This record gives sequence, C-alpha cells and structure tokens, in this order.
Amino acid sequence: MNDENFEPRILVFCCNWCSYAGADLAGVSRLQMPSNFRIVRVMCSGRVEPEFVMRALRNGFDGVLILACHIGDCHYIAGNHRTAKRIPLLRKLLDHVGIDSKRVMLDYVSAAEGEKFKTVISGFIDDVRQIGPIRTGLKWGA
Amino acid sequence: MADDKRVDELGKAVKEALDKGEADRVVGLKVDSDGSVRPYLWVKGDDVSALVISPKYPLSTVYRLVHEKHPDMKLGIVARGCDERALVELSKRGNIKLDEIVLIGIACNSDEAQECVCHVPYPTKISAGDKVEGVDTDELLEKIKGMSLEERGEFWSYYFGKCMKCYGCRNSCPLCTCKDCKLEQELFVTPGELPPEYPMFHLLRAFHTVGRCIGCGECEAACPMGIPLTKLYKLLRDDVKEMFGYEAGMDPEAEIPLLTDLTVNPIESGEGGA
Ligand code: SF4
Ligand code: SF4
Repeated sequence: MNDENFEPRILVFCCNWCSYAGADLAGVSRLQMPSNFRIVRVMCSGRVEPEFVMRALRNGFDGVLILACHIGDCHYIAGNHRTAKRIPLLRKLLDHVGIDSKRVMLDYVSAAEGEKFKTVISGFIDDVRQIGPIRTGLKWGA
Repeated sequence: MADDKRVDELGKAVKEALDKGEADRVVGLKVDSDGSVRPYLWVKGDDVSALVISPKYPLSTVYRLVHEKHPDMKLGIVARGCDERALVELSKRGNIKLDEIVLIGIACNSDEAQECVCHVPYPTKISAGDKVEGVDTDELLEKIKGMSLEERGEFWSYYFGKCMKCYGCRNSCPLCTCKDCKLEQELFVTPGELPPEYPMFHLLRAFHTVGRCIGCGECEAACPMGIPLTKLYKLLRDDVKEMFGYEAGMDPEAEIPLLTDLTVNPIESGEGGA
C-alpha cells in the first residue's frame, strides 16, 4: 500500500474559538507546513458528528483530524467533553470493522498554539501517509 | 409450549394483576385459534390460557407505543430480562416512566439464554421461571476479535455487502425511537443504492446504538440476510463498559455517558484524555 509518491488528502475540523485561531496563528507566523489538508471551521468541536467523519472518509479523504479546545477552555463550557467521548468510540468502531483508526485523530490546540498546530498536522499527515490511500466502496478500509 | 410451566405461572400473574386492578392492561403475547401469535393487550376477564411466551417479541416497543397514546393507563408488561433493560433505557430517554410499569417478569430458560448469548437472562422481578446463568462464551465474537484489521475489513465487507436496506434492524430495535432517522437522510445514505454504501449505513447505525443497545438481538433476528449485527454492537458495548463503566439497561440511576460532560462520566480507561 505504501506508494512513495502518495500524498494523503486530509480533512481537519477546527473549532472557531481555539484551534481555528491556532491554525491562523500558524499561518501568520509563516510556519512551514504540508499543504494537503483542508480545514472546515465549526463553532465547536462538539458539532462534529461522527457521521461527518464517516462521510469524509467515504468521500475519499484519507484521514480526518478533529482539533478542539483543551478541556476546560471550551467556549461552550463542555462541548469538547462530548467530542472527547465520541471520537475515541468512533475510532474503536472503525477498528472493529477493519478501518485503521489512525485515520481519525482527536487533538487539542489552543489559540496560542500555532506551533502545536503545525506539529499535530504534520505528524498526522505522516501517519496517514504510512497507512496509504483509503479504499472506498464496498472493499472499504485498511 | 403447553408443557412449559412458565406459561401457567405467567397467566396467573397476569390475571392477578388485572383482577386486583394493579394494571388496566397488560402487554403480552397471545396465540390465536389458527396458531398465529401476536402482541396483545390483556384485559380483565380475558381467558389467559391463550397467553404464550414465544416467539420472542420486542414487547417493550408495544409498551412504549401504547403508553404514548394512553399516558394515564396503568400498563403492565410481560417482560424478559432484555425487555426490562430496554424499558430502563427508554425511561432514561423520557419515552416512558420506569416507576409506572407493572412488570410481570419471566426468566428465560438456558436454551433461550444460549440462543441469545444473553449475559443476564432474567429481569429484576420474576413471576415465572427460574434464573439460569448468563452466557459469556460467544464463538463468533471470539473469532472476530482474533482477526487482523485486514480480515475484519473482509469479514464486514462480505456481510454488509449482502444488506438489502430493508431497515428491519432499525425497525425492530426497541431503542430506535427517533422520529427523524439519519439512515433516511440523503446526506448520509444515498436513496436507491443497493447494497447501501459501505460503511455509512452500518457504521451510522452502529454508532447510534452506543450507550443504548441492550443486546436483545432483535435486529439480527429481523435481518433477512443473516448479518451478524449483534457482534459489532457487542464490541461497542464492551468499549462503553470499559471507557465509562456503563452497561445499558442495567442501572436505572446511571447516566448515559455520551450525554454528560466529563465531570459526570469521566473516561475511566483507554484513550481520550486532554
Ligand atoms: S441488539 Fe439490536 S435490536 Fe437490540 S437494542 Fe441492540 S441494536 Fe437494538
Ligand atoms: S435488517 Fe439486515 S438487510 Fe435489512 S437493513 Fe438491516 S442489515 Fe440490512
């Protein structure tokens, strides 16, 4: 599966208050980053339904990253608590049906953590590159 | 079934609840003169000799629907262990009220427990039958657990590829009560596509059983394609138990972990910390 030239397509969900600001900071700080990811800004990471992640994978994204505020810093107090519970369970489900759960990750990035945003993104893209392209259709997974 | 003494015991208990006025109606099964069995609302004066206990039927759904129409009716139900656990989860979601139920419990026998791979084959109150041990060994489940990621992918692709999207799994599930079902939303499940795009349909449904599936097996029994749905849901039940110590249907006081914040239901083990 490991094609040398394979560049994964990555979808990143960022919450409006922390991680999107973190991404912005990484941008204005001109940090060097891979460019093969797309950001969807949501008001809260708690808005990211597992269905969204499934749909992204189905539509051919090789990996989906969900970035939330740190626990305790959620603009809506506990929106990210839901995320913290759901995403690990979704990852278990993927694993049960034979889809590498490393394709979906949850991490926490604050508005001040431009550097962390870069590290997390780069690390995630490297991981997904290792796993290889996603297969869609009935022979899904791996 | 006539030689099953549980049926007589149950008939007596139902009759007593109706005669004493503890219940206005009791949800149960009835056999007609042509031998067909259907859910039935038993009422005072009925001949309870037509009461039967099989085939297994999701009576908690009947209870919920009757209660919805007649919220003031004192309603009883003939309940197995799984029926009671379904009622517990329904009550947590505001569909019914647990303390209003006149529960006439029946313990499953060991054959039934075996067939359902049921871990608790009895309700908390028993009017008929005797408790038997729960079943913990599940060959197919163990086999799935022993598979590699690749093999698991093959396994579920094979089975989900058979799905004819009849919605029987959802329709028979006592805990599938949403008026608007995501499985019918075009955004997630493309209409008219067979088999339904893997994995959307099945992963979506599987995720929605989290924290509510009580393992009654109705979905799998309803599936005309023999898809071993309960195995996948059982794996998730084990995850929920491991992460939050939560077992659906068991403790009426326990809060649904996915609906609370981390201070109420912290993640007890595994990943997910900040
Ligand atoms: S076993 Fe199937 S029908 Fe029963 S509660 Fe779980 S998902 Fe619903
Ligand atoms: S009952 Fe079986 S065939 Fe019908 S929709 Fe569910 S999984 Fe598919």
